[in-house]
Amino acid sequence: MIDISHITVDLVKSISLFKPETTLIATFLLAMILDMAFKKSKNIAGYIAIAGLLITAIFLFEQTGANYKAFSSLLVVDSFGQFMKFIVLMSSLIIIVFSFFSDELHNAHTKLGEYYTLIIGMTFGMFLLVGSSNLIMIYVAIETMSISSYVLAGYTKEVKRASEASLKYVIFGAVSSGIMIYGISILFGLTGSLNLFEINQFLVANKVATIPLLLSGLMILSGFGYKISAVPFHFWTPDVYEGAPVTITAYLSVASKAAGFAVLLRFFKTGLLDSIPGTSEAWQLLGSIDWHYVIAVLAVLTMTLGNLVAVWQTNMKRLLAYSSIAHAGYLLMAVSVMNDNGVSAVLIYFFFYMLMNLGAFFVVQLVANKLNSEEVEDYNGLGYRSPVLGVCMTVFLISLTGLPPTSGFIGKLYVFSAVINSGYLWLAVIGVLNSVVSLYYYVKIIRNMYLRDVESTKSKLVFSPVTIAIVLLLAVPTLLFGVYFTPIIEWANYSMNIFVGN
Amino acid sequence: MDLITIAFYFFGALTIVFGAVVVFTKNIMHAAFSLLFTFFGIAGLYVLLSADFLAITQIMIYIGGILVLIIFGVMLTTRITGVEVKSGKIGKVQLAVAGLLTVLIAATLIMIFTTSNWYTADSVPLNSTVNEIGTALLTNYLLAFEAASMLLLIAIVGAAFIARKKH
Amino acid sequence: MEIGLTHYLIISAILFSLGLYGIITRKHAIMVLMGLELVLNATNINFIAFARYGGMNIEGHIAAIFVIILAAAEAAIALAIVLNIYQNFRHVNVDEVDNLKG
Repeated sequence: MIDISHITVDLVKSISLFKPETTLIATFLLAMILDMAFKKSKNIAGYIAIAGLLITAIFLFEQTGANYKAFSSLLVVDSFGQFMKFIVLMSSLIIIVFSFFSDELHNAHTKLGEYYTLIIGMTFGMFLLVGSSNLIMIYVAIETMSISSYVLAGYTKEVKRASEASLKYVIFGAVSSGIMIYGISILFGLTGSLNLFEINQFLVANKVATIPLLLSGLMILSGFGYKISAVPFHFWTPDVYEGAPVTITAYLSVASKAAGFAVLLRFFKTGLLDSIPGTSEAWQLLGSIDWHYVIAVLAVLTMTLGNLVAVWQTNMKRLLAYSSIAHAGYLLMAVSVMNDNGVSAVLIYFFFYMLMNLGAFFVVQLVANKLNSEEVEDYNGLGYRSPVLGVCMTVFLISLTGLPPTSGFIGKLYVFSAVINSGYLWLAVIGVLNSVVSLYYYVKIIRNMYLRDVESTKSKLVFSPVTIAIVLLLAVPTLLFGVYFTPIIEWANYSMNIFVGN
Repeated sequence: MDLITIAFYFFGALTIVFGAVVVFTKNIMHAAFSLLFTFFGIAGLYVLLSADFLAITQIMIYIGGILVLIIFGVMLTTRITGVEVKSGKIGKVQLAVAGLLTVLIAATLIMIFTTSNWYTADSVPLNSTVNEIGTALLTNYLLAFEAASMLLLIAIVGAAFIARKKH
Repeated sequence: MEIGLTHYLIISAILFSLGLYGIITRKHAIMVLMGLELVLNATNINFIAFARYGGMNIEGHIAAIFVIILAAAEAAIALAIVLNIYQNFRHVNVDEVDNLKG
């Protein structure tokens, strides 16, 4: 017999901290079963999913203040994870609501049961990923979210471009996760452990050769970089974003990025840093590798490429895809400073990014419902054809550019100040220049909406009050948090401490 | 040369030669069947590394599962008898660049692998790893084990949805 | 020379490179998948070799088992998507599936 008493004590505590994820699994199963039972209703699984996510939110809220290594250090429950899980949870909720109003999905000759079920499955994967502190757990979690997202990207499977998006996503995704796991195997060979805490202890105690460590780090980064669509792992992004249903595009651009950034930060802070508790100074890096510069170079490449290519785009989804690559670049900039201010800036930026990016995608979805088009040209005169939508879209775009008085400005302000405070002035300068470039293509859309086709007598577009209300629910906070941002800042500062063990 | 050395070189050669056939052959069926020998060679290497459970798993899941899946995929998407089975061609320059890149990567990896200090410890040979693996899966790796079951469920739901015919 | 860790790692390195070559040069989606399987198998050789010479560390075996499980799931999903592509396009060459461009 094996003595497992020490395991059971840990297990009882762990399971009580695992309630949000357990709820997600229960929701997944319930949605699947009820969808089969009630074949008539297309959205039944969606309602179950919303209920399940709300219950998950309650359990997640209960975890406030928890700091624990659960399940024999496979998973960490901490306030940083809680913040990121809330981002994931809120975007899942918003996306499911968006999906109720998507003509694209409802006109497809497929049931929607699996759609909502898989969104829950993906949320589960992202929850695991945000908390993972073991390399195998990270791999399992990334695959859980990826496999759901491959299917979701091609959910309208009779539409050629959706199935194409799904093929490209699965091929590139499988390759990048294959390279990631090869990197993990090298790291395992160097340190003899898969647990981030033990890897950290080993690296603190022993001197490890630089080149293999750098190689394995870069290979692991390729897996994370794929999820956050950082250059040079971005080439799937435009095609998948354009081909997938709008709701899923929006989802990938926010939630899966959030999970990717969470695991990136946790990997660096827990695994590769000398853990000195309670310092907000730059984290002490282990080994002779300067990861600051590796990430900073990635950030520069990512935002520059994203912004420059976005300028030429004529399709809204493709444009927003490149814009989301650029935003990943800004966020990487905050990661590259590698201190707690950087983490807090990432959290703040992400919250605002979620609101504005989801809002912009919802407008794209509504317009596509009416006009059956995603071309920038077809937004001509939108400001007059539907004043409310035009104003809201303007708010989202200004916020994405990062101009006051929107929340996007506050987000960028914190990112840039984190970068400048750490002495990376050159990085901040490149970031600002990039924002200027981004102004061009965001303003191009606003110009199309208000200054083009003013005289033409295109019919007014009438949207249902519910959808307008949803757009406003996203647009008003985008503006409001631009002025009254203290609660978010406080929440992010409270959440910026990543649990690094004892 | 003792028996272990001979066995190592046999399985190693089997793995690499057929691995090369997989990526160089023009005929997709040949590639699929070469993959079988590669997997088999790797299972042999596992035995030499005293990973008995993994060797059996390799044969059962890779050869019995994944490979059969791949062959079905090939048969469902290409006409076996026609010329279609051959995969498309890629320009000579691209092939050369890819080949050069591959050699470069291989050289770098081999250089790193031969010169680095790896984490090593005296090993206690085990009669069987099954016990240890079972214990680890249900104690330290319990969550990963359960998460994997969830992942498989998601994969079944997703694959069934995507692959089934139109309603 | 006695067979040691390095020998296995070299086999893994060669297999990994071959797999990458297949992924880069192949057009047929299923051929790309086969290249990917080579990469994953190279990973597993690494894991098990490191486990064997790192004090019979069972973690390496666990990792290899998970890699096999996930490879199976991934192959199933990828092949389902390939079948769907075939129904829509009547071929499965990755670079001919390119309606999306910009």
